[in-house]
Amino acid sequence: MFGVIARSSPVIRLLAPRGAVLVEAVRGRKTRTDPKAKSKEGRIKTPPPVDPVEMVVLRERFTEYDLIMRALRLEFKEEMLRKRYEEEVGSLAEERAKQEAEEHRSLMTWNQEENRRMLKIRELRVQKEAEAAEVKKTEAAILREQAMENFVKEKGEEIMRIQEEAKSFINLENLDQRIQEALDNPKNYNFAIDKDGRVVKRTVLQ
Amino acid sequence: MPRYELALIVKAMQRPDTAALLRRTVETLMERGAVVRGLENLGEKLLPYKISKHNERHTRGGYFLIDFHAAPGIVTGLLDHLERDIDVVRPTVLKNDPEPSHGPCCGSPVASKPQDTA
Repeated sequence: MFGVIARSSPVIRLLAPRGAVLVEAVRGRKTRTDPKAKSKEGRIKTPPPVDPVEMVVLRERFTEYDLIMRALRLEFKEEMLRKRYEEEVGSLAEERAKQEAEEHRSLMTWNQEENRRMLKIRELRVQKEAEAAEVKKTEAAILREQAMENFVKEKGEEIMRIQEEAKSFINLENLDQRIQEALDNPKNYNFAIDKDGRVVKRTVLQ
Repeated sequence: MPRYELALIVKAMQRPDTAALLRRTVETLMERGAVVRGLENLGEKLLPYKISKHNERHTRGGYFLIDFHAAPGIVTGLLDHLERDIDVVRPTVLKNDPEPSHGPCCGSPVASKPQDTA
């Protein structure tokens, strides 16, 4: 077989020549110690016969062919490498890099301008909102004040009213008098009313 | 102090006895720190039904209204005391506060429609 790479480490596999075949070299059915088959006992393996003239010619042609192929390959490889180099470190590349830098700078400046504009607008808006809030707060404070005032006034009025009424309350002195008064004047809260709204206060007191 | 009303149903008695009862009731109230506003007599009437109290069956009774201002804590004590008085048929203490006038109502009005239960 052409160079067979047996089960070997990956390093040997990497360093293998180009034409080698990656095949597992396996012994087949018989082990090393098994006796040879009867039909194969006297067999001598001979390589196929080689014609020396043909061999020489073939070898020359092959070397020529090989040379040409290798040259072509290297040419192409060189071309590719040069192209890549040009891309990265060529004159065009510099210009392109410069343009990109320019673009970047202009975009950054535009962005900053926008930011400044937005800042101004935002400032105004925030200020307006603050003022509105202030106004609302003062209004609320005024309302609260007024409500408090109303409340205090109401309570004051109530106090005056109660003070006036307090003169008619019962204490120990007028207790007897009030009791006699009450017993003398029985009050009657009953009344009759009809659908026309006429009220009749005179009822029978049992 | 909240304002209460003592609706008192007393035994049908002679005038001096009733006067004495009222006097001691009002004195009790004042002892407990109440401020008595006024005293009304609704007359001696036939009770709506016969009431048994203190081993007696009452058919007629005197109705009296005493409105006063007092602390809420004394109400139970007062009722207790009145229950024990043998001349009192039925004491009742009710609240009598004036309702505060509402301003314009804030908030959404709740739709209070009675739901039909199937």
